Amino acid sequence: MKPAYQQFRYESLESLKMALFQIRANKIRSFLTALGVIIGIVAITMMGTAINGIDLGFEKSLAMLGYDVIYVQKSSWSTMGQWWLYRNRPDLKTEYAERLNRIIASTPNSQLLIAVPQISTYQASAKYRERLIEQAFALGTNHEYLQTASGNLSAGRFFTPTESAASEMVAVIGDDIASGLFPSEPALGQSIQLKNSKLRIIGIFKKQGKFLGLFSFDNQIIMPLGAFEKVYGKKMFITMRVKIRDQARVMEAKEELLGMMRRIRRIPPGKEEDFSINEQQAFKSQLDPIKNGIAVAGIFITGMSLFVGAIGIMNITFVSVKERTREIGLRKALGARRRTILLQFLIESIMICLIGGVVGLATALTITFAIGQIMPDFPIQFSLNLIMASLVVSVLTGIISGLAPAVTASKLDPADSLRYE
Amino acid sequence: MENEAVITMKSLCKFYEMGDQVVHALDAINLDFERNDYAAIMGPSGSGKSTLMNIIGCLDTPTSGSYELNHQSVAEMDDDELARIRNKEIGFVFQTFNLLPRLNCLRNVELPLIYAGVPPEERLQRAEEALIKVGLKERMTHKPAELSGGQIQRVAIARALINKPSIILADEPTGNLDTATSHDIMDIFGALSNAGNTIILITHEEDIARYTRRIIRLRDGKIESDNRQ
Repeated sequence: MKPAYQQFRYESLESLKMALFQIRANKIRSFLTALGVIIGIVAITMMGTAINGIDLGFEKSLAMLGYDVIYVQKSSWSTMGQWWLYRNRPDLKTEYAERLNRIIASTPNSQLLIAVPQISTYQASAKYRERLIEQAFALGTNHEYLQTASGNLSAGRFFTPTESAASEMVAVIGDDIASGLFPSEPALGQSIQLKNSKLRIIGIFKKQGKFLGLFSFDNQIIMPLGAFEKVYGKKMFITMRVKIRDQARVMEAKEELLGMMRRIRRIPPGKEEDFSINEQQAFKSQLDPIKNGIAVAGIFITGMSLFVGAIGIMNITFVSVKERTREIGLRKALGARRRTILLQFLIESIMICLIGGVVGLATALTITFAIGQIMPDFPIQFSLNLIMASLVVSVLTGIISGLAPAVTASKLDPADSLRYE
Repeated sequence: MENEAVITMKSLCKFYEMGDQVVHALDAINLDFERNDYAAIMGPSGSGKSTLMNIIGCLDTPTSGSYELNHQSVAEMDDDELARIRNKEIGFVFQTFNLLPRLNCLRNVELPLIYAGVPPEERLQRAEEALIKVGLKERMTHKPAELSGGQIQRVAIARALINKPSIILADEPTGNLDTATSHDIMDIFGALSNAGNTIILITHEEDIARYTRRIIRLRDGKIESDNRQ
């Protein structure tokens, strides 16, 4: 067995050398041939990177929301967009939070820890002198808000129970608001104008980044409930933020909260509730179809470009076999067996595809890096698996596209090939 | 050992179908070659000499009849076995030289050894020895394009010799060379014959055939004459 193995090794090595010779001797042709694979691999890796990035961005964003907070709201996150389902539901009230807390306090072993009210609008605009920020996220809550939210203050403090109870016109603002309205001076202690009211800034949040690269927590303006209602009125979007004891038992917590809310809303048994309890899981189930859609589209596009690339390589390899008919005849006359010839042409097409794959990977990495530089918030993740997958796909493309021409070459009649002009 | 047969052919036939017509390229050939034979096969085009050369060289198999090379029956061999026989038993020299233009002389000459599974160091050493034998010591790392026709054919002869074959089969080896170079090449064949090699030439030139010790003439797929000189 050993001599046979040795022979195979020498033949493969020879084939590899010849393949590299051949590729170097026909640089432009090899490049054009490999182009299909290059494009295919760029498509694969970019797609994979995008999907990885979405996952990563999503994880980050979920962490931002806090894994241990569930939300009582008028509508459900998992059927977002179907507003007509919720249009006729009665509005929630911020007082529910207090009643929830009372029930929680009287329930032994409750999975819930605390409920915090929140009233909010996405369409706030904040003004300081001639500077204006639109589309800010204004939020009214009480002094316990920070127990249900991530984020630390970089300056100042959150409002006190007294300020909260007295509806003082004070605000804690996100980093984007602070740097947008006060680019060159400290924001702390200044007053910003929301509609016709002025709020004094008492605290500033550290920068948190964007949620899914889209929605930012850095443009929040958080104020006491009463202050919010003075500015925007009571008819705004109301949420009860409820912190749970154990995120592993979120379903139990949801059940418990559901029961409490039904009591508060006096919904008789058997009747459907007119509110929704949301948690991050709902986002995930929303995102999965999108992710799968991207993946399917990606596989299709990638498959098409690789298919076109493979046909190109097959074509070129056929031409190469034709051109080198005499060489094949000679090699056979000198003792090359069928599989030696097969191997030679197969290795050649694999090498072209592999080189194409590596160039494609380098291109994709460059693009990824460039996107990362231009849009630092855009979630991107390049993984080792992706690199391995690309190389495997390259080699497979080489084998698939090289097989038919290589078999043709291996079956050539040596006597005829030697006479081929 | 003097009269041991290297090649034995008995009622060897090769037919080709051309449309509905059957061409008898070789028609019941009986022919032996002994060790250290130095023979020329001659004949006009269409006489079957190329077909005979292909069969002797194991590039083709006969339609019927037997062909034994070194006591191995070649007629029933499959492609891979034929490849092994070509590699081990036969050294080819072609009219058109057939060197690979991208490779230097040494790499061209070592080619059969790669297919024989010989380790690289030994390949190189044997290729050097073969090139020295044909007088190309100074040109070993040149590529074919940098050599004259006669030098190229000498590289090809070195390649034919390298695996110590049972026979050297030369198909019009001087067909692309001028007269003076042709005689140089024939001198090399003469020396190889004197060293004990078995050589079969295919040629249509009388003065080339006269270098050999045996002239076989073919006509219409049959042996017309077989004279030893």
